Order: sequence, then C-alpha cells, then structure tokens
Amino acid sequence: MDLSKEDFNDTFQKSLNVAVIVKLEPDFSEGSVTYNPDGTLNRAETKNTLGPHSAVAVNAAFYAKVKYDARVAISTMGPPIAEMALQQAQLISSADELHLYSDRIFGGADTLATAEVLKTGVQKMQGKMDIVFSGHRASDGETGQTGPQTAWKLGFPFLGDVIDYEINLDTRSVKAKRLITLQGFYDIIEEVEAPLPVFITIHPSYRPLFKTVSERLAFEKYQKEAKKRSSNYKQYLKIFNSEQLGLADLSLVGLPGSPTIVYKVERIPKGKANRNAEVVDGTNSEALRNVVLKMQEARSRMVIR
Amino acid sequence: MTEGNYRHLYVVMEHEEGKLIPVSLEMLGEARRLMDKFNKTYSSEEKVVAIILGHNVRELCQDLIYYGADYVIYADSPELEYVRNLTYTKVISQIACDKDLAKKVSEKYSDQFKKPRYMFFAADSVGRHLSSTVLVELESGLASDINKLVVEDIEITHQHKTNGKPIKYEKILGMYRPDFSGFLWTLILCLDNKNPSIEREYHPQACSIIPGVFEPLENDTSRKGEIIEYHPKLEPQDLKVKILSRKIVKSAIDFSRYKVIVSFGRGIKESPEENIKLIEEFAKELDAAIGVSLPISKKPYSVSERRSSTYMISDRVIGTSGKKVAPLLYVAVGISGAMQHIAGIKESDVVVAINPDENAPIKDECDVFIKGRMEDVIPNLIEELRKQQPKIRA
Repeated sequence: MDLSKEDFNDTFQKSLNVAVIVKLEPDFSEGSVTYNPDGTLNRAETKNTLGPHSAVAVNAAFYAKVKYDARVAISTMGPPIAEMALQQAQLISSADELHLYSDRIFGGADTLATAEVLKTGVQKMQGKMDIVFSGHRASDGETGQTGPQTAWKLGFPFLGDVIDYEINLDTRSVKAKRLITLQGFYDIIEEVEAPLPVFITIHPSYRPLFKTVSERLAFEKYQKEAKKRSSNYKQYLKIFNSEQLGLADLSLVGLPGSPTIVYKVERIPKGKANRNAEVVDGTNSEALRNVVLKMQEARSRMVIR
Repeated sequence: MTEGNYRHLYVVMEHEEGKLIPVSLEMLGEARRLMDKFNKTYSSEEKVVAIILGHNVRELCQDLIYYGADYVIYADSPELEYVRNLTYTKVISQIACDKDLAKKVSEKYSDQFKKPRYMFFAADSVGRHLSSTVLVELESGLASDINKLVVEDIEITHQHKTNGKPIKYEKILGMYRPDFSGFLWTLILCLDNKNPSIEREYHPQACSIIPGVFEPLENDTSRKGEIIEYHPKLEPQDLKVKILSRKIVKSAIDFSRYKVIVSFGRGIKESPEENIKLIEEFAKELDAAIGVSLPISKKPYSVSERRSSTYMISDRVIGTSGKKVAPLLYVAVGISGAMQHIAGIKESDVVVAINPDENAPIKDECDVFIKGRMEDVIPNLIEELRKQQPKIRA
C-alpha cells in the first residue's frame, strides 16, 4: 500500500463533502432517440437518461468517495421523472443524499434562474460543501452555462474543463488540471491550485484512475454499496418544492427570473450553393473510376499554403 | 429605464502568447457592422468598446482600433497574465459597471450609466465560462454559441415579460443559435420584465459567439479610436486560484497533418460497426484522417468499445462545434451537410460526398456527389483505389 498507517488514518478522519449537479437529458443512443423527418430531435418520442456529461461528473465524485471517503450528494432540477437521473447517478457513485428540486414555477427557467434554484439546493445539503461538480454541458441544451453560473452564485471559485484533480485534506486545497482549447492555437494543459470550496466542471475526457490496492478495495466496496443503494434510492431521496427550498425571492426563479426567452425557432434557410456538384451514379463503376482518378489527382497536388 | 442607463457594445477580447485569438477580431468585425447600423438608425453616440485584460497587452490595443473598435479599455497587471475565471470576472464586471469609463467613451447620459447595452464573448473554453459568471455578476441574460445577430425593434406579447399585452421593445439584440442538428435556428432575446408584478431590467443583452463564423474587418490603419487604461481593484480573495504551470499539448487528432480527410455522419446507421470498419479501410487507402459530424460525438449507435472511444468523440468533430479543416481532398460519407459542418470544411480544395439522398444540403457544397449507399459505393472505391495505386507510384 502506498499510504502508511498514520497517513491512512489521518486521511480518513478528515471529512470531505462533495455534491454533483446533474441533468436528465434525451438519450441520443440508437433505439432510444427518435428524429423528426426534418432531422430535428423528436422530444416526445425520445427516451430520457442521465446526461453523459453528468455521468462523467458523477464519476469524478465517486473518485472522491473512493479516494477520500467523501460524502456524496447529487441534485437535479426538473419534473418528477428527473429522479431517474438521480437513481442512475447513485448507481455510479453510491451517493449518500439525492435532491430533486421540482415545482411548476421552476418551469421555463433559463440558465440564470436554474442556477438560482441549484445554488439554494446545494446550500440545503447536509454539511458544508467542499466541491461541487457538474458536467461540461448538457447534450440537449449545450449552453454549458449552468455550472459556472451556479458556481458564481455560490461564491465558489470556478474551475472549468478539469481533466484530473487531487485534494490535499491537510491544507484543504485542490490541485486540478484543466484542458484549454483555443481557436488556432495548440491545446493547453493548465495546472491550478485553489483552497476549498471550489466548483468544478469535468471535461468529457476525464477518466478516474485507482492506483493503489486500498483504492481498488474501496472501489469494489463502494460499487457493491452503490448497487444496493440505488435499488432502494427513494430512501435517500428528498424532493423539494419552492417553499420547502425556502427560496427567498420567487421572482429570481422560473420564468420571472429568466432574462432570456426563446422567441422563435425557425429553419435555417439553405444557403446558396458554394460548389457546383457533378452528380455520379454510385452503381456505375466506370463513373466511380473517374471519381477515384479525380481524388488521386486532388491529393497528390502540390500546394504551398 | 431611462435612455442613459444602458449604453454601448462591450466586446471581451482573448489573446494567447501575445497574439489575438482570431475570434476576437471576428467579434469586433460583427460588432462594427451592427453598431454602424445602430449609429445610423438610432444614435451615433453609442460605441464599440473592446475590453482586453492581461500583462503587457498595451501593444495589442492599437490593432483593436484598426479592426473596428471605437474605444479600447485595457487592464494590465502580472495578476492578469493568464485567464483565471475568478479574477477576470471581477475585473470585467468592474469595467462594465464603471461610470467614469463610460464617461470617457461618451459624455452624453454618462451620469445615468449603469451597464453596457450589449456584450459579446467568444464561445470557447475561456469565453464560455467568463460570459456565464460575468452575466451572473451583472444579473442579466446570456445566449451561447451564436452565429447570427441583428438589432431591431420588436413588439412582444409574452405571458410573463409583458403580462400578455403587446409591448414594443426597442433596440433588441436578436441572437440566433443553431441547434445541434444544424438545421434549426433558435432566436433568443434578453428582455426586461415589463410585467408590473415582476418588473426587472435585464441588461446587458449578452452572448457568446462561435469562433470562425463572422468575418473580421480589414486592418485599416486610418481608423481612429481611443485607448483607456483601467486600474483594477483586486482583493486577496480574488486571487486565491493559483496557476502552477501551463503546458502546450498537441491535439491527439491533428487534421492539419493530413492531405485527405474522410468523415462520416449518421448515414452509417444501418450497420454502424461494419460501416465504420469500411470507412477505416477506405481512409487507409487514401492515407486519410477520419473525422465525424457532431451527432456522431453523442455516441448514437452502439459499436465496439474501441470504435466508440476512437471515433465517437468530440475531438474528431468537424465543423463550428469542432475543428475547421482545409485538406486537399475531403470525403463526406453519409453526412447530410448541416450548416455547422459546412462551415468547417469550406476551405477544402476538393469535396466529394457519398449520400443516397440527392436532396441533402451537402450536394450544394461538394464538387462530386456520388449518389448511393456507402455500403455499395465504398467497396468499389477501395477496389478502384487499389487498382490505380501502382500507376501513381510508378
């Protein structure tokens, strides 16, 4: 084992509270997803699931449970069926507490109004949070705004696109690696350090790694526990409406608290043709031979850019 | 709201290694076009204001004027050398609410100034987060990943915003966001609540802009403007995130090293595993990199773990939500040709599409359209490539 006995005890005597904000999203996998004839998503027919980026964030929380024996809380805002996402997240993380914020008045919220509810919910969790995780972005809305907005409302420093993190329980600080992608530049891996509490959004490429024997033992223990817990998830679930959340100002949530509206949805008009295509019959081998000649010519061209 | 509360268009610049990120100049170009029209239609007193933070950034400021800014507000400090969300959010928010700065930009109404009228950020790994946190601090709305903008007066009837009554909103920024399919535009507006029971002002109207969409202006050295320095007020707690190191990494998939790119989309759906295998073989014959369309990165089909983790990933996405490419030959297999994808391939020399549907938009964006199913067409192409190969080598 990597840890000495003293270190081991020391580590496990220090508590860490982590939370994950997740989202129930359309399931884009084949068999679950249905598209309209025009290529757009058919929301009514499409099944729902824990969003894939949410799942990655839950994995990051599970890492904290295995490695630092963290207490894990998961929360989501949505209609009653969103508890499905919480159950799925508990199966990944063996979460100790599940929160669903559900109220008609939360409906139609944009990211600012959603962040207000999530912030209030995180503050109602058992214990003071040390890290709050969220996914990179939702696969349906794709704004990526709710995480950082919740962070700012909580007053937690925001670390985005995190691909790896370690906690130091003695100094109560986190070291994290972030992946920064900028147009026309090489990617950058930035290592940062910040005192807890922090808010972290996890990059999709994140994979937790359990190196030591004790970590692997803990991993197996919690995985078993996760199965047991999630089959009995309602026991861990708390559902809050606006009143139970104790929202101070109802005009900050739902439609009144949303600065933005979707005014309309329209088809993107087809642009004018940029190229003039030669149409080739795919069953005509003579024609395909000419296409291949053209392809060979194109790729062997010398160019100075 | 009085006329002077919310004024000007503030644009947040990004730079790296002493160079502006291209999207910064693209945003300035679009800001200039919008405000030229605004200046003609409404008032000539409102300006394009570029904000730039960093260390030793003064030398970048003049260029921002040549590229369309009327004013540049810069903050220079070693503490601002690299973007830290916490520190940058504080400073940008201070600049956005600063009356004295607004007064330097325009005397008129400057005593009433509260916040900018409009604000632009880049939709990349810096601007996406900054826009989110700054707009919480400024308590207003944000639309992300925008690729079309207009300013106009709109009569709105909305259950909450106007209590169901028609109200005319002036100088509204129409922010168009393509959905993931690339075929629909969502028009997002950021509107004050004019419903008496929930009255609230929501300004600035802000958005993040997709890199590579808007054209920058020509660098025009005759353009005049003013550069203003801002001294940020930073407390120790604004600096508590420390950057320990920064390393440049080359992307795992570097399309620029390849002369040929073959990419695939939802057209693989009939037998995903076999079709990807076919595409792998085809790409090998052409010595090509393999790209995908955005929907593929959402892992819509179950294939082997290896193929899923190799191909159904955002790193391989070509288009405005992924990478822009410019190969000598681009082959689009089973890709319908959503606008976002097209924007990523338009610099390619020769584009060949393989698609059974002649009405697919890709037909207008390729040089050769092979009408047919990939399952039938690609094996023939592979065979033909193998036949022709020796001749080319000789």
